Amino acid sequence: MELVLLILVPLAFAILIALRPAQEAKFHAVIGTLLAAGIGVNALGRFDWGTPATMQLSAAWDWLPTLGLRLSVGVDSVSLMLIALTLLLGPICVFCSFTAIQEKERTYYGWLLVLQAAMTGVFASRDIVLFYTCFEFTLVPMYVLISLFGSTNRKAAATKFFLYTFTGSVITLAGLVYIAWFNATQLDSIGIQSAGRWTFDIAALEAAAQAMPANVQGWLLLAMMCGFAIKIPLFPVHTWLPLAHTEAPTAGSVVLAGVLLKLGTYGMFRFVLPFLPAAVLEYAPIIATLSIIGILYGGLICWVQTDVKKLVAYSSVAHLGFCILGLAALNTVGITGSILYMINHGLSTGALFLLIGMVYERYHTRSMKELGGLACKMPVWATFMVFFTMASVGLPGLNGFISEFMCLMGAFQAGDKWGSLPGGTGGDLGFWYALIAGLGMIIAAMYLLYMVGRVVWGPLVLPAGHDDHGHDGGGSHGPLPTDLCAREIFVLLPLAVLCIALGLFPKPVIKALEPAVNNVVETINATGKRPDAASGVKAMNDLPGLPSSADVRHVSDADVSVASSSPTVQWGGALSGGDK
Amino acid sequence: MTIASDIMGSILHGALGAPGASGAALPAIEAGPWWVSLIPALPLLACILCGVSAAMRIKSKLPAWITVGCLGVSFALTAAMFQQLAGGRSVTIAWEWINVAWTDSGGHERSLIANFGFYVDSLTCLWMLFVTGLATLIALYASEYMSHDVGTGYCRFFAAFGLFVFSMACLVMGDNLILLYLGWEGVGLCSYLLIGYFYKKPSAVAAAKKAFIMNRIGDLGLALGIFLAFVQFGSVEYKVILEAAQPWLAAAQAGHFDEIPATVQLIPILLMIGAFGKSAQLPLYVWLPDAMEGPTPVSALIHAATMVTAGVYLIARTYPLFLVSEYALPIVAWVGALTALVAATIGMAQFDIKRIMAYSTVSQLGYMFAGLGVLTSTGAAFHVFTHAFFKASLFLSCGAVMHGFAGQLDLRKLSGVGFMKGWQFVAIAMLVGCLNLAGFPFTAGYFSKDMILAEAFVTPHMAPIGWILLLTAGLTAYYTFRVFFRVFVGPKYYEPGDEVHAHSDHGHGDHGHGEHGHDAHGHAGDHGHAAGEFHPHAPGWAINFVLLTLTVLSVGAAGLYFLGDHGGWVGKMVHASSANYPPIVDLAAHSGEAADAHAHADHGAHGSFLGMDPHKVMYYVSGIVGFVGIAIAFALHYVGRKTAATANADKLVPLLGPIPKLAQGKWFVDEVYDLLIVKPLHLISIVFAYIDKLLVDGLVNAFGWVPRGVGSGLRPLQSGNLHSYAVQMAGGVAVLLLIVFLASIAGL
Repeated sequence: MELVLLILVPLAFAILIALRPAQEAKFHAVIGTLLAAGIGVNALGRFDWGTPATMQLSAAWDWLPTLGLRLSVGVDSVSLMLIALTLLLGPICVFCSFTAIQEKERTYYGWLLVLQAAMTGVFASRDIVLFYTCFEFTLVPMYVLISLFGSTNRKAAATKFFLYTFTGSVITLAGLVYIAWFNATQLDSIGIQSAGRWTFDIAALEAAAQAMPANVQGWLLLAMMCGFAIKIPLFPVHTWLPLAHTEAPTAGSVVLAGVLLKLGTYGMFRFVLPFLPAAVLEYAPIIATLSIIGILYGGLICWVQTDVKKLVAYSSVAHLGFCILGLAALNTVGITGSILYMINHGLSTGALFLLIGMVYERYHTRSMKELGGLACKMPVWATFMVFFTMASVGLPGLNGFISEFMCLMGAFQAGDKWGSLPGGTGGDLGFWYALIAGLGMIIAAMYLLYMVGRVVWGPLVLPAGHDDHGHDGGGSHGPLPTDLCAREIFVLLPLAVLCIALGLFPKPVIKALEPAVNNVVETINATGKRPDAASGVKAMNDLPGLPSSADVRHVSDADVSVASSSPTVQWGGALSGGDK
Repeated sequence: MTIASDIMGSILHGALGAPGASGAALPAIEAGPWWVSLIPALPLLACILCGVSAAMRIKSKLPAWITVGCLGVSFALTAAMFQQLAGGRSVTIAWEWINVAWTDSGGHERSLIANFGFYVDSLTCLWMLFVTGLATLIALYASEYMSHDVGTGYCRFFAAFGLFVFSMACLVMGDNLILLYLGWEGVGLCSYLLIGYFYKKPSAVAAAKKAFIMNRIGDLGLALGIFLAFVQFGSVEYKVILEAAQPWLAAAQAGHFDEIPATVQLIPILLMIGAFGKSAQLPLYVWLPDAMEGPTPVSALIHAATMVTAGVYLIARTYPLFLVSEYALPIVAWVGALTALVAATIGMAQFDIKRIMAYSTVSQLGYMFAGLGVLTSTGAAFHVFTHAFFKASLFLSCGAVMHGFAGQLDLRKLSGVGFMKGWQFVAIAMLVGCLNLAGFPFTAGYFSKDMILAEAFVTPHMAPIGWILLLTAGLTAYYTFRVFFRVFVGPKYYEPGDEVHAHSDHGHGDHGHGEHGHDAHGHAGDHGHAAGEFHPHAPGWAINFVLLTLTVLSVGAAGLYFLGDHGGWVGKMVHASSANYPPIVDLAAHSGEAADAHAHADHGAHGSFLGMDPHKVMYYVSGIVGFVGIAIAFALHYVGRKTAATANADKLVPLLGPIPKLAQGKWFVDEVYDLLIVKPLHLISIVFAYIDKLLVDGLVNAFGWVPRGVGSGLRPLQSGNLHSYAVQMAGGVAVLLLIVFLASIAGL
């Protein structure tokens, strides 16, 4: 029940905000997000951490039984951690906007809450249609936040963000629906329990998708990656991100970096890896290569930015490259590292956007030519800035290190020569992938220290119009003091504490993720390497034609049997099955 | 007979303690006492308390006393740990850090385990004794040295200081390579923060950044080495790795490297890249001289005595891995020897006394690496130990001069300092330090350098290294005493440095209080003297006490050489650890007595120095070389010198052609790196930024234009109105669902 509440409570408060006067919007937003966070804490407590890989806290209602549509929610440890991240960033986004947003507050806070509900829905849904609805619905609030509350170029940024990600995810939907169709019409119910009738249940479709031949899986991989890769964003479909990040209001950037990008990586973990094991095994080197290009290319572009927000935005391209490299390693260390990376990147990059927003509120510039040496004016801000930079650079002892190190190690372990060694897992990556991706560690130090060296250290530089002798508590900063106020410190502190906690005591989190990850890895190894699946079915090589029932017979494995009856009858069966 | 008892012990342990691990050469691992964890924890506590002090805006010397206290207790605990050790090994686990488990395709349970665990053997104790001891002393020194910054940067300085000692303790005491990596990067962070302590100076900020990035290059090598070690051995813990290397040691000793898997031989080559970065060896040494932008106590502790020896520690700790690799140790030896030579030549031509000391550090680290490379891990460790004391005292003496003369470090602008009132302690400390560094007979530096030199001639094929190091020893003696004869003796003269006008330039601190702002002109009078009437202020009790203690210790370190055979006390410590050479497993074939007597039997042909036994003759040769160097410095920089700025050496300069200019310009290595690596990379980055904007994003925009051109009739759909997008989206979903739905009914 918690999961449903987690989606409904923010929605209810959004409606409340819309109905009540604007002065109250802030208050309702605080209550709404805090209430959601409280429910989230309760959910964390109710979750059985002894069996973290099983779906828990589940709830389901029939929606359109004839189509097999259900509203079904449930979480394993991976989903729950990402929901926890969403719920943590919720109040932070509200608190950080108090002074930055002065008009249209109802619109702003209302959509912010809707966004939180949609993101929670993505991680909680156990039904593909619900997943996709929430996945797409995140676009609308984000579009409003950017286009109404962004900076100068906001309209173009919002439109590009919307159209780009929307286009990609429509193709993802096509892929997902194809799997549902395949399940309903091309398999019968002997081997796979749910086959032969229409269902959009994730677990059911997972089994169906695994039964597909390798080349079909390959096409589906392409379709799914269209949406997920854009969302992540993977090179070369990343260009919407720097624009959207730079133009978005602070809270928008925090949510974008913190959670929205993770929808893509989560989608890969939840759908691409377990659904399409044969294709994943085949295409892992290509995905890894793209992610490594993103690491190096994104990192080097960061290095020559003058807009500090754009620098952090491009750093997301580089960072998410590590995350995808870990997924593409297809072993426990890599994938666990990748999921940790999703959380850690949300904390550290989210905090960096908050910090940049705090300076922007004071000096109304993001240009590193106009800002410098802020350490002597804003020592508390500078301390946080250096801290989160170090978390972002992957300094051991802080959270970023654990995940980055594990992603790289996973890639390293997955060398084909090392399958027989005690620490090797075998695969198509290995030494060179880890080495070249590891160069990204050096580049990350280059661009992040360049940023800190400019903005935090060095002689004081302030934009024209701001006196650089200001001991007056700010005059030109509006209601804000020169250095951070208590509210701003309160916003940053939980993130800092979590960075240290996850850096020094990651074991409980790793152990919670491990069974879920091991399931996926074992699935990939067990079903992806089946000889018939890997070689595909001869008659089906001429895709994208749809497989006929006769061809599908060849798919049969010990655990998968094939439709022999007429598909029409089968369809009827599915309908009647649904009617029961 | 330590070794014999070790062997007996290991045989017993092998039989009783570790079934399956036949021939285990190292003593079994016991559970260590819990308080070992306090050794790293106390400096961390000091760091946290200093942070709290900063938050509470404490304007006293409290942070310094907190730090000195915590570090002192930490040192006492280290001494207790050493007392308890008694030749064994122990592991204390503070908490479990990283733990991932899976089942591999063969059905084996595998796991990646890295705990916050502390591995204690004699090598750990050796390192921790001088790390915590020196840190305590230098923190005491810094309490006075940094007193200008009380209330501003004082808390920040000591917080970073405490964090450094914590990181260094993790590096040295960690029971696995990942915790070592944590300490490794942690000391890098503290180095970054402390080099950039005077953060308003662009040069300090640049130097800090350079140090961090150069170290990161090395760190990548270290990380890859850790990955490969894990892949090969299935663990990153020393207890597994060191044990796993044992079976190959015999093959390596016999020269059968083809029996050892290539992956095993690759591990040390990756690890050493990390060591070269952290310990400032070719080609990654250029960050260390620039690191002198930091306050002098930092230079003494981090950039001379402790952090930069981490590379030596890493190699010594994983010495069995290096021994089973055919090319690893020869590479280490050559890199070390060449670094020693190159750094010495640059040091000879510098005028900034702190930079000279920095280059001498690079050069001496080269000796240590060469020592490891020529199979005398004892010599290397002994040199680390003696160097830590005398180099710290040299730096702190330079720091006292810098502190007293308002930042003056140019040896052409200071002379006869030793004869000025109140500077005697500093001069004595400096003289003792210089004698040690120059390898003057019967000093500690003489004995430790000697071991490395002798062994270079003993070890087959390493004689060229010996000659390079011998030449470098002469150069070292020259440039060391060039400083002494110029600055501390001769006619009395000084010019104050540029900090006389802005005394608070000692780091404006981070608290942005107006009174410490940018208007330094208001401060000239603060200290009771205007620019015209500058008085050098001689050091106070804390600085003098620390200098005296270090001087006594650096003299006393020579005595350690006589506490036992084969490298004295340090040798005993090294022999009882994994860094021992020859490896214990090989000696087990001999009887203990014979092994002791013929420690070099397995070298095959015992090398010679011009037909003589290097072990004996080197005492004389290196002594003479040191004398010659000092004599040349005396002739060129003391004899007949009337002023501070000129000396006999100046007459020599034109005769050498472009060499002095090149050496003064540090052989222009920085410039070459900039031209070959930094500039091209920057250019590529700019090109990438344009490609991203014009090509990658341009293609996307082109896609966007196509429908816009085609469907101008559908203009209302692209009104930019949010609601229409939402409707389109929902419509798109519905249409797609419908298509699939209909297709499935109609088509099938």
